[in-house]
Amino acid sequence: MSLKQKVLVLGIGNDILTDDGIGPRIVQQLEKEKLPSLFAFQTATVGGLEILEMVTGFREIVFIDAIKTRDGIPGSIYYLTPENFRETLHLTNLHDINFLNALKLGEKLGMELPEKIRILAIEIVEDMEFSEQFSPSIREKFPEILEEVREYLSRISD
Amino acid sequence: MRRITIDPITRLEGHGKIEIFLKDDGGVENVYFQVPELRGFEQFCVGRPVEELSQIVTKICGVCPGCHHMASGKAADAVYGVEPPPTAKKLRELFYMAHFVHSHIAHFYALAAPDFVVGPTADPSVRNIIGVIEKVGIPIGSEVIKQRRIAQEIQALLGGHQTHVVMNIPGGVRKGLTAEERDDVVKKAEGFVDFGKFSMNLFKDVVLGNKTYVDIILNGPYALKIHSMGLVDNNNHVNFYDGKVRVVDTEGKELFKYGPNEYLNYVAEHVEPWSYLKFPYLKTKGWKGFVEGQESGVYHATPLSRLNASDGMATPIAQEEYEFMYKTLGGKPVHNTLAMHWARLVELIYSAERCLELAKDPEIIGKDLRAPLDNVPSVGVGIVEAQRGTLTHHYWTDEKGIVTKVNIIVGTTNNNAPICMSIKKAAEGLITKDTEITEGILNMIEMAFRAYDPCFSCATHSLPRQMRMELVLKDSEGKTIRSIKRS
Repeated sequence: MSLKQKVLVLGIGNDILTDDGIGPRIVQQLEKEKLPSLFAFQTATVGGLEILEMVTGFREIVFIDAIKTRDGIPGSIYYLTPENFRETLHLTNLHDINFLNALKLGEKLGMELPEKIRILAIEIVEDMEFSEQFSPSIREKFPEILEEVREYLSRISD
Repeated sequence: MRRITIDPITRLEGHGKIEIFLKDDGGVENVYFQVPELRGFEQFCVGRPVEELSQIVTKICGVCPGCHHMASGKAADAVYGVEPPPTAKKLRELFYMAHFVHSHIAHFYALAAPDFVVGPTADPSVRNIIGVIEKVGIPIGSEVIKQRRIAQEIQALLGGHQTHVVMNIPGGVRKGLTAEERDDVVKKAEGFVDFGKFSMNLFKDVVLGNKTYVDIILNGPYALKIHSMGLVDNNNHVNFYDGKVRVVDTEGKELFKYGPNEYLNYVAEHVEPWSYLKFPYLKTKGWKGFVEGQESGVYHATPLSRLNASDGMATPIAQEEYEFMYKTLGGKPVHNTLAMHWARLVELIYSAERCLELAKDPEIIGKDLRAPLDNVPSVGVGIVEAQRGTLTHHYWTDEKGIVTKVNIIVGTTNNNAPICMSIKKAAEGLITKDTEITEGILNMIEMAFRAYDPCFSCATHSLPRQMRMELVLKDSEGKTIRSIKRS
């Protein structure tokens, strides 16, 4: 299957910063499973220009990122698109440009951007402390979160 | 008293903010720049083999992982009391030059150019890299992306991965370079040199060719007379990977030069109750507060300070540009904060030229990649220049090389006091009685700290986020009278 037919599942976050690495952890787990060859998996730590370079050429992209919202319920997944995008923790990048501007830039430069962009933003609890372990509530909910993501991906077909 | 808050990410917790307190007469009373600090990094490292740290520290920050990897690798060498063979050192430096090219291109085109190519008070919807490309042309935008990608390819080739770098091990590097790979790097580095020259010419045309912008750089509220720090080689030329840290005073006279393991004799950290981030200062001067001048302990560690602290650049085109910059700005040292953008472009050219020089060096494809570890590990310090300032890693281990203590002073932390002072000075210059606080004014205040290319992910071990800003005007009773948001 060529790159142009594939869906990139991109987990973004820092896996040594408690819940912050939930995106990469999910991707690492899914990578081990026998999912259709339709999917490609990658992880990254920052958004902005870096992401633009990574997503070019794929048919679709599914970002899995962490988010913290006021009064959010840990483990909730928000299903976002560029149209209703709100800042997740990594799709923005202080150092260069934010995610939406990166996409606009890609369009402007005539880059081969994915036809469809989906963002799964997972409500987390702790991203201020170094740890390779999730916080208790995310640890407890991780199997459910993973299943929800797995189920979501299963609805994406060739 | 009115209170203005410039709050990067108000919806998210754990973010930085700038608060400007105004006097009743409308003038600026004080400015506080605050960033939160992540917890537990030292505990996270303690108990691990020291050679593991060079991989862990790349995760402190997604923006400059290569800098931490290099400083950590050098600290681990020092812990084992070992000097890597020449080929290993050159491979590390080659990787590092590509890292600098990658980062400096991003800063110039995405962060600096919008203010100068589009305009400091232009509508924020166009004051970004897309607005820059609208002005300078799509082929240049494509070239920015292309050169960054090529720099990433070199880093991935040498480092094993572009961000999760696994290159360094105590005493050397894991992998060498083949002749074929070297030939490819040479071609790529030639492209960097061309693009560096092109970017400098663009700066000269667009910025130096515009009287208003030159006036903002030279006469705007953006100058800070403080000491300058930078890593230099044996000839006192700028070096990012190795050498001694040199500090010159506000007049450009050398105050001292120190090797990595002497840093604690020269740099100390001041603590303020309102900031998690410490304020490094020159120990020999002492902490005199947030003040400028010859007696102040405040220094900066930026592209401009590196040039100020050196006697020149080690490569020919960068040296020409170095001389031209100082000639144009009236000699050394330069204290104009916005000249950091110019200095960064001189450094871009240096990184590109040095990258090419190293790629062409016959030793770069040598096979001697690691020195034997014959000593009992104990304590070691590694210092490099990160894009955002002098980066120091200090590790202590037991006799088996297991980490017992860690101390890191990162680039942006060096600049904590100067950033606070620069923001205050800009605010004082731009906000007076009856000033209408517009988005343009807010951006011009932000320009003062953006010049430092601050990266709070390093400074606070926090993660890089888009700078969303909120400016809140409050009256003396704390009631909000006006709010401006920008993202």
